[in-house]
Amino acid sequence: MNLLTSLAIGTLFAAGIYQILLRNVIRAAIGLVLLSNAVNLFLFSVGAYNGQFAAYATAAGQISDPLPQALVLTAIVISMGGFAFVLSLLYVIATRYKTSDSDEVKGLKN
Amino acid sequence: MNTWLLLLPLLIPFAGVPLTLALRKRRRIQSALALGLMLAALGFTLSLLRAVLTTDQPVSVQMGSWQAPFGITLTADPLGVFMALMSQVVLAAGIIYSLGSTEKAVQYPTYYPLFLALTTGLSGAFLTGDLFNLFVFAEIIVISGAVLTAIADDTYGVEAAYKYFYISTLASVFFLLGIGSLYVSYGTLNLADLAARIASSPSAPLTMAGMAFLTATFLIKSAAFPFHFWQPDFHAAAPTPVSAMLSSLVVKVGVYGFFRMTTLLFAEQADLLKTLLVVVGVAGVLYGGFGAAGTQNVKRMLAYSTLAQIGFILVGIGWGTPLSLAAALVFTFNHALIKAAMLMLAGAMASRAPVKSAAFDVVVGVGKSHPFAGVLFLLGGMALAGVPPLNGFISKLMIFWSGVEAAQYISLLIIGVASIVTLTYVIRSFIRIWFEPNPKAKEKAGDRLLAPALLVILSLLLGVWAEPLVSLSRWVAAWLGDPAFYITAILR
Repeated sequence: MNLLTSLAIGTLFAAGIYQILLRNVIRAAIGLVLLSNAVNLFLFSVGAYNGQFAAYATAAGQISDPLPQALVLTAIVISMGGFAFVLSLLYVIATRYKTSDSDEVKGLKN
Repeated sequence: MNTWLLLLPLLIPFAGVPLTLALRKRRRIQSALALGLMLAALGFTLSLLRAVLTTDQPVSVQMGSWQAPFGITLTADPLGVFMALMSQVVLAAGIIYSLGSTEKAVQYPTYYPLFLALTTGLSGAFLTGDLFNLFVFAEIIVISGAVLTAIADDTYGVEAAYKYFYISTLASVFFLLGIGSLYVSYGTLNLADLAARIASSPSAPLTMAGMAFLTATFLIKSAAFPFHFWQPDFHAAAPTPVSAMLSSLVVKVGVYGFFRMTTLLFAEQADLLKTLLVVVGVAGVLYGGFGAAGTQNVKRMLAYSTLAQIGFILVGIGWGTPLSLAAALVFTFNHALIKAAMLMLAGAMASRAPVKSAAFDVVVGVGKSHPFAGVLFLLGGMALAGVPPLNGFISKLMIFWSGVEAAQYISLLIIGVASIVTLTYVIRSFIRIWFEPNPKAKEKAGDRLLAPALLVILSLLLGVWAEPLVSLSRWVAAWLGDPAFYITAILR
């Protein structure tokens, strides 16, 4: 289970990085979502290392640490707001530049 | 009493966000209220600094009365309150500039609420004692800063905001990774507790990973050399008062992070990080200096100059002696004042140009009918280049002096040579704006010059009478000298 979780998070992270490196701005935004979700999962799994014990717990039978769950909640809310903002910016960029190629969105370079 | 002194610099701007939003239909009351709240927050930060100075102990508050490592701690230690004071001074000047600005962005109904949100984020980031809380406040800064840029008059504001927001979200992904790595190793996020636990068991498997993630985060946040690519675009496209805040204060969050990392969290294993900071800083000084000399836009030139100045600060942190830390602090404070003033002056001239733009081709000769602005720009430029008797001279003198003391001659030589470049680009821009003829330039009302004038006068004062700031910085540096001070003060 541990291995599976970490492999899934790693795959998600790799997929996010790959999407970010593409030239399509919309794909890059999707990559950002994948990345922040991978990080949220990572943060979440920090609290329950073995599925039942907190990472630093030494006593057997101790329950999962609730703090990372609270952290993940905050991080989810922030990334949701951030993604809404990214989408609205993308909308403006798409209507203004009529392209999704990040190489053609270069008004600042001139 | 002290509890409220710590909470008010944070709560006042935070309460101001909904208040000013409710008053969005009544522009004059809204802006006056924003200025009033800002000045009140500045006043409370000043008395907070006095409280910390007189007791020589940090003021800390445990949110919800949970004891230190468990609850969320707000801490005004000397470093935090120093940075908070710096940001409040410059933010107050920013609001004063906004009041007299002719830009359309300033008329935007959510402009002042966003500005106060930026204030909340900055004060909160410097006054928090919890790593995750720092992340949250950093996000507030990023979001409000990006929205303030997106509403710029400049048509490329949206593009710049997208760039900045995207790269900052990536930085916060790394921040969260760092937080997770440290939490899984040590089970705490309170800065004092984390520092104590890292010192007692430094070889947990993810310690170095956490350090690397945090380093990446703060390098992006401070726009240091290889991570600077978004910064000139972003700072040049933002509305003038906003770009002044971004270039002088928002990058300092990264600098603050490095102060905390090298002197508190990873005080024992910081040698690698310090070497990295010196290398990155020297590269930034070189690249920023020559980049600034090669630009065709005043605001862009000043943004590149920020890259160079952040380089100086990082070099100071990297040397890590008490004197060089004090020098980095003085540099941080002075740079905030100078850079905000210079960007405001550049923006004020751009607002008087035939077409509203800060490109040299457009603003050339615009200054001819504004000799007062020219005097201010020349003074600010001299401060930027480090000419006596301005405060920039004190900053550079301290950096060079600490470099000689630390016997770091190679990096000292490089930054010494590169700092001469500053003089060339400042003089060039001064001559182009104030001396070259421009037939198209005509009398036109523009942004008011009160705020940059105040900042330049403050710079002049801190250059002539540098003693208070220098001794304040040495006090902060002495406090940073031993992480045990912070840890025992918070955990008790």
